[in-house]
Amino acid sequence: MEVEKGKTAKILREKLGGIPEQAKENLKEYNRIKKLILEALADGELTIKQITEKVNMPSDEVVYYLMSLVKYGIVKTGDVDDMDEYYTYKLNK
Amino acid sequence: MENPIKNISYDALVIGAGIAGGETALNLANTGYKVLLVDKELSVGGKMIMLSKVFPTLDCAACITTPKVSEISRHPNITIFTSSEVANIRKVGDNEFVAKVTTKPRYVHIADCTSCQLCEKACPVNVRDQYQFGLVGRKAAFIPFSIASPKAAAIDIDNCTLCGACERVCPTNCIDFTMQPEVFELHVRTVVVATGFNLFDAEKMPRYGYGKYKNVITAMQMERELAPTRPFNTVLRPGDGKVPDKIAYVLCVGSRDASVGNPICSQICCMYSIKQAQLLMGALPMADVTIYYINIRSFGKGFEEFYQQAKGMGVNFVKGKIGRITEKEGGNLMLRYEDINEGKLQEAEHDMVILSTGVVPNTGIDKFFVNENLMLDQFNYVGQSDMLASPAKTSIDGVFVAGTATGPMDIPDSILSAGAASSEAISYLIKHS
Repeated sequence: MEVEKGKTAKILREKLGGIPEQAKENLKEYNRIKKLILEALADGELTIKQITEKVNMPSDEVVYYLMSLVKYGIVKTGDVDDMDEYYTYKLNK
Repeated sequence: MENPIKNISYDALVIGAGIAGGETALNLANTGYKVLLVDKELSVGGKMIMLSKVFPTLDCAACITTPKVSEISRHPNITIFTSSEVANIRKVGDNEFVAKVTTKPRYVHIADCTSCQLCEKACPVNVRDQYQFGLVGRKAAFIPFSIASPKAAAIDIDNCTLCGACERVCPTNCIDFTMQPEVFELHVRTVVVATGFNLFDAEKMPRYGYGKYKNVITAMQMERELAPTRPFNTVLRPGDGKVPDKIAYVLCVGSRDASVGNPICSQICCMYSIKQAQLLMGALPMADVTIYYINIRSFGKGFEEFYQQAKGMGVNFVKGKIGRITEKEGGNLMLRYEDINEGKLQEAEHDMVILSTGVVPNTGIDKFFVNENLMLDQFNYVGQSDMLASPAKTSIDGVFVAGTATGPMDIPDSILSAGAASSEAISYLIKHS
């Protein structure tokens, strides 16, 4: 069978009978948390401590997801506070 | 379904493409032998390519590794199989082995990938990046790391949602979800085992709280925090993103400890911890760094001077064995330890703890050989049949060993060991030609 380049994901999806459940759940969770963090930052820059309070999530999870968003260029790092302890983060508009 | 077996011949099979395997392959290839270099990872370079700097010179690890990796990748006498594992090896003659190697599909045709990263940008998935030791995320369509070789994308099929976004943006149509595992039956004249080591799993010592207390990390995680391609913009606590200012190193985690099955010294932990302490003092000039140790083993060339340099920079050395770490409200950590010089129990508070995990053997190598017995030593490293006269020889004629597959050692010693293994292998090939 001739394989059409650029459309092979569909072939594997049909072969597996759909999207793997775990991958689907992971994506949902990431999108949910990403939305929460981006909404929290919509009004201006915040520290991780402040984001944690706004999104009501464990701070280590905020660090992980926020740093991933920084890596993907969606969020950028701001300045460090007067005590040199916490950086602020803002949307990369 | 696996593709049919493909028959190919090489002079040498080198298992493991870390710094020892790479050096061995280069030496053999430069002498005119055809080498197959096999590694289970998506890139060659092993653990060294993930380091920030090396001790005792503080040279940039990537600056040393990258040209070497590039030379290996471009050498006309070296064929590299990444994402590949040796299933078994049979000795079928005086200087002939048949190795079965399985290659997992990458779902990307490497030769066509320009590493443009458009697939990464299009991929909607986020999973923990194993090359950043879980500190940050990566996409399911991803380039393993910036200095990976081959620098080509790969699809993490376990976490992929098969949405096809990566395929749609790929300008060279190199993504192919119809790729299958491949099995190769290779005829080789000699084998070099350069399978390296593993780092001790810190979760096996629950009293240190790794995995439970988020501001307790391993030295390899700190290595990434200090590297130019670091996961954060600076050194931060993973627990709450605070810049740490009172950092502790705990040495001998999972080494020199019979209770966890690893009674021997890992040989590198003292020096890599001292290296990181110096780098931390550069990155965070206001931070206090304390190293809790049993003995500092600064045995190599320039090591003692490096240790004294760290002391001179203000790194605090405490001769103490840590009994337990507990977490305080706010994420700081209390270290309860035996002060060996004072002979009493003490407590100290730090805001971040780095566990200097030891070296453990990469097990299962002996199972590769189906009709010969690859002897291991008492600590499960590959046994050296004549350690003093021919340190690269194993119990199987024609099979040699390089680097940390024989036991803990630092980078210069790994390269020396690779030199010995390649010399022995070349001598064997000449003798049996």
